[in-house]
Amino acid sequence: MSMGGAIRAIISFLIFVALHYTLRPLLGWRAPMDFLILALLLAAVRVRPSTAAVIGFVLGLISDSLAPDALGAGALAMTTVAFGASYLKAVFFADNLVLNAFFFFLGKWVFDIMYFIGEQRVHGVELVQQLLLWSPLSAAVTAAVGVLLLFIMRPLLEPSPA
Amino acid sequence: MARAIRSNTRVDLIVLSACIVLALAARALPNTMRDPVATGMRRSFLAPLVMLQERSEKGRQSLLAADAKQAYLDSLSLNSMKAGSLEGENDRLRKLIGLGSRVRWGFVPAEALHGRGIRDETTVILSAGSRAGVSRLSPVIAPEGLVGVVDQVDPTMSHAMLWTHPDFRVSAMSPDGTAFGIAQAHLTGATGGYLIELRGVPFRATLKPGALIVSSGWGGVWPRGIPVGTVLEEIKTSEGWARTYLLRPAVNPADVYSVMILRRDRLAKGLEGVWQSVAQADAAAQRIVVSGDSAARTAALAEAAARRAVIDSMARANGAPPLGAFDSTRAVTPRPTPIRRPPRPDTTPRDTVRRDSVPPTDTIPLRPGTTR
Repeated sequence: MSMGGAIRAIISFLIFVALHYTLRPLLGWRAPMDFLILALLLAAVRVRPSTAAVIGFVLGLISDSLAPDALGAGALAMTTVAFGASYLKAVFFADNLVLNAFFFFLGKWVFDIMYFIGEQRVHGVELVQQLLLWSPLSAAVTAAVGVLLLFIMRPLLEPSPA
Repeated sequence: MARAIRSNTRVDLIVLSACIVLALAARALPNTMRDPVATGMRRSFLAPLVMLQERSEKGRQSLLAADAKQAYLDSLSLNSMKAGSLEGENDRLRKLIGLGSRVRWGFVPAEALHGRGIRDETTVILSAGSRAGVSRLSPVIAPEGLVGVVDQVDPTMSHAMLWTHPDFRVSAMSPDGTAFGIAQAHLTGATGGYLIELRGVPFRATLKPGALIVSSGWGGVWPRGIPVGTVLEEIKTSEGWARTYLLRPAVNPADVYSVMILRRDRLAKGLEGVWQSVAQADAAAQRIVVSGDSAARTAALAEAAARRAVIDSMARANGAPPLGAFDSTRAVTPRPTPIRRPPRPDTTPRDTVRRDSVPPTDTIPLRPGTTR
């Protein structure tokens, strides 16, 4: 990846992180979109799996720091998702919005499954309800918003012609 | 090439394993160590993100609270709009309670139910009937004064004729008993139905504007002393033998909601002193007005005298005669009437014809063919 592409990817990453801490709490939906997952997936497909794992770990720790009871759960889940996304980028990374939407949906859902299981705060029926109802809904919203942002931020996210 | 790929894959797996181990370690930290780590991160490099999230949360709370605040403001505005009418109603009820305590017994409290538009208000339905002791021709009163008279009675309700009704009459007088007349609705003119006429007042009796008029007690329907209205002005009518006055009614028919119906047995005992405070207040107000007028008149006289003295002294200092002959304060200063003396006979002989010593010099040219 060229220097310009790296800068644009970093800017996009920061924009997504900023949106996660501004737009998401402002909307306050029951099934919220996850801009951190979007930022992680978009960064992960551009770097090596080991780098993606480190980015996921750091990003997970950042998100966990705001919920100290779950410290480590988000880091573990994001590390796994980022590594998997980077490892499977040959399969999923394509200039196809539907495929990207599925990519976002899967990444968010896997993250939620790992996060809620690792967090061990929710149990029983509530956990099933969370994983089979709210998490897919949140993943769908995240995928929709991710596709929309990909469309809007296409100039930033496209690889440079050189 | 294949070795490099395998090496990279091994590095990736090692890094992944390290990250997973670190994450598990963080997850396994006891609470006593987990909180300081999270707090340290929040207070250091995550502080801007935390601040952003706080502001967004506050913004959302503000947005959510905006509707509630608007609803609160709306209900507050609505209540403040109702407050005026509630205060008026409270005031009326307080007055009614005060009237009840003065009347003491022999009355039936009732609600007046307005059936038609306010401008057509000549009758009302009262929420008390014969079971409560109401009978036909029972007077209906309010804290302010006379309202009307019951003309039909049902067991549970009754029908009353307000003073605005064309057939309504009540014998009225001034509180001191110097002027008597018959009060009825003033039905002519733009204010028809909203003012009262006091007709048949003897010509020798004059009423000043603002004078209180009360019921006289003649006729057997109305007890003596119920306020009917206050004098506005005298109006000219075709009746040359008596005066007619226009009264402002004591009770506005549109404001009649809570009333009292006097029972027949109460009428026999009279209502002396019930509205005495009203009459006293009216008399006191009249006295205040009169004393205020006399005080103003005295002040004006004193000022005029002082001004005249100053003008005279200035004229005297200038060597001129005093200006008393053309004193500007003459209009306000009462001057003694000059004593007229019989004219003296003229003893000095004088010419009966005054001759001109100056020849006429007319500057206006004569028209041709005319003579001066």
